[in-house]
Amino acid sequence: MRSTNVDEQTLYTAQAGWLKSAVDILQGAGVDVMAPVETEPGVVELATVKSSEAVTLDYQNVRLPLKRLFFPITEVVLEFKSQPEGDVDVQSEPLVSETEVVVLGARPCGVAALEALDKVFHWDYDDVRYSARRARTTLISFACTRPDAQCFCTSVGGSPHNTTQSDVLVYLEENGQALMQVCSDKGAKFIEQLRDVVKPAPAGTQPPAPPEVKEKFDPAKAKAWLDEHFESDFWTEVALKCLGCGACSYLCPTCHCFDIVDEANWQAGQRRRNWDCCSHPMFTRHASGHNPRPDQASRCRQRIMHKFKYFPERFGQVACVGCGRCVRACCVGQNLVSILTDIESKAKGGDKADVASTLN
Amino acid sequence: MNVNSTVTESLQSAAATLLSEGKVGVVIGYGRDAGASISHPMFIRKPEDAERLVFDDCCFGNLAVYLPRDKVRSMGKIGIVVKGCDLRAINVLLREHVVKRDDLVLIGVPCTGQGDPLLHKCSVCEQHNPEGCDMVVGDPVEQPAIDATQRYKDAASLDDKSLEERWAFWSGQLSKCIRCYACRNVCPLCYCKRCITEKTIPQWIDTSAHLRGNVAWNVARAFHLTGRCVGCGECERACPMDIPLGAINQKMAQLMDEWYGFHSGLSPDEKAPFTTFKVDDPETGIL
Repeated sequence: MRSTNVDEQTLYTAQAGWLKSAVDILQGAGVDVMAPVETEPGVVELATVKSSEAVTLDYQNVRLPLKRLFFPITEVVLEFKSQPEGDVDVQSEPLVSETEVVVLGARPCGVAALEALDKVFHWDYDDVRYSARRARTTLISFACTRPDAQCFCTSVGGSPHNTTQSDVLVYLEENGQALMQVCSDKGAKFIEQLRDVVKPAPAGTQPPAPPEVKEKFDPAKAKAWLDEHFESDFWTEVALKCLGCGACSYLCPTCHCFDIVDEANWQAGQRRRNWDCCSHPMFTRHASGHNPRPDQASRCRQRIMHKFKYFPERFGQVACVGCGRCVRACCVGQNLVSILTDIESKAKGGDKADVASTLN
Repeated sequence: MNVNSTVTESLQSAAATLLSEGKVGVVIGYGRDAGASISHPMFIRKPEDAERLVFDDCCFGNLAVYLPRDKVRSMGKIGIVVKGCDLRAINVLLREHVVKRDDLVLIGVPCTGQGDPLLHKCSVCEQHNPEGCDMVVGDPVEQPAIDATQRYKDAASLDDKSLEERWAFWSGQLSKCIRCYACRNVCPLCYCKRCITEKTIPQWIDTSAHLRGNVAWNVARAFHLTGRCVGCGECERACPMDIPLGAINQKMAQLMDEWYGFHSGLSPDEKAPFTTFKVDDPETGIL
């Protein structure tokens, strides 16, 4: 997705009104433009826009994670229909349309999460639907200006100005102008399309300093503890409060587990791929009835282990970008950050006797 | 956040006594982390930890949700902090024989309401002082008169719409559902070991997050809770997609009120209309 022959530090300045021009130019070129839109009071989601008037720039982050554009909540993978003589006609669902998509205003954390998803979906099998959607999409990120107390991108190697997987990172300015940092060939193409409103930044121009996001834990130290503690009472304690709802996983930009279901009537049906979640008891339940993760403790452990041990071992990075959605969504105040903080203090040998902050 | 220090101190002392005298194996209450936006569920098993309990105006969770859980039951007799609204859920669990009264020590907390602004359920709450608990910590609070017309206001505003408008509203709202089942898992009355969505032979409810599946799920949920739901509002609070589930709950409660004069959870001895057989049943509620 990323080109190495583009200078990451290539900076451009965009004149006031550039966003309107961008939407109009892309629309004119037949591109499907997605941008942040206030879909209900106080809620912003990425949605298809026809004009820049629908776009809101006043948002901390979008409610649903960016992954849904590439790995939809539910999608048809094939359809089947019964034929005379008992035959069944099976049709693969056509691949996604080739219409180009430009996302204006994704947040750097959500875009960075695609690095983890790319590795999974191109791992032992090239997921053609995911890849097709990735290939047709250009990601124009807007630098994060309003990280809140739940954000922790800096703890997992990110930053409010992270350029990972972004094609362009845009620093919005109060006067309607913007500074644009090109990060890939796709980004260069976008800048070229906007040539009437964008020009190279004067020599010596520097992007603004990112807003501060406090580092809350060190994933490497946490992993050292996880390596030794598959069996631990800690998991029972953590799981006590967890209600096993899937809000944290479903809102997570890197969680990628799915379920395959057939939905049919007597004549015809569809095979679908749906988001799934390791917190749910059915997730690992075998047809025999045996469940290798029979309780919430083993499911909570899986969630943490997958993100901070298994994924790093397999793919060289943690499966977390610190967007904070899981922290905000949890209705019992369970806190990924406090779990990792407790683990880190255990790793240091401090073994907080009652794992107080996590447990309760 | 406004900590109710009188209640908090009495609560800590009561919990410590219950634990040190061995009357309970665990006290389920609320605790608060610095910087947190809610007071979260807390399981206290040692008397010396009781000082971590707190009661304030951010104790949103309905702790009754933990009572049917094997892990919690295995800790012994359960002391549980209950607001009046939570008690209604416990009354339903008792009425449905999910928990036994003898296995519980109910620690009532007088509550003037949660949230700032006050939650809707609190503004129409008639249980500011929980009744029927084993003990009540803190002094009784004034029970304001309730404007009963406000009780079902969200449902009523939807009743004013035409059928087409209502469908447009609900199909729009339910289209947002991502099937995370947070609504189910926070519900103190959704205690089935295996939910109908997890029954696959046959698959009664489509699990895909398309409108058909989402309507099926939310209607099934409403059917299973009608006459049982106590309106604690946890499902709506937990919903990450901000679906106004409270309006559905209000409609259920309104129908039970109009048809049977029934308000779920006011007593553990109540006879629930849908689980009580009467020879002279007028059957007006049969769909």
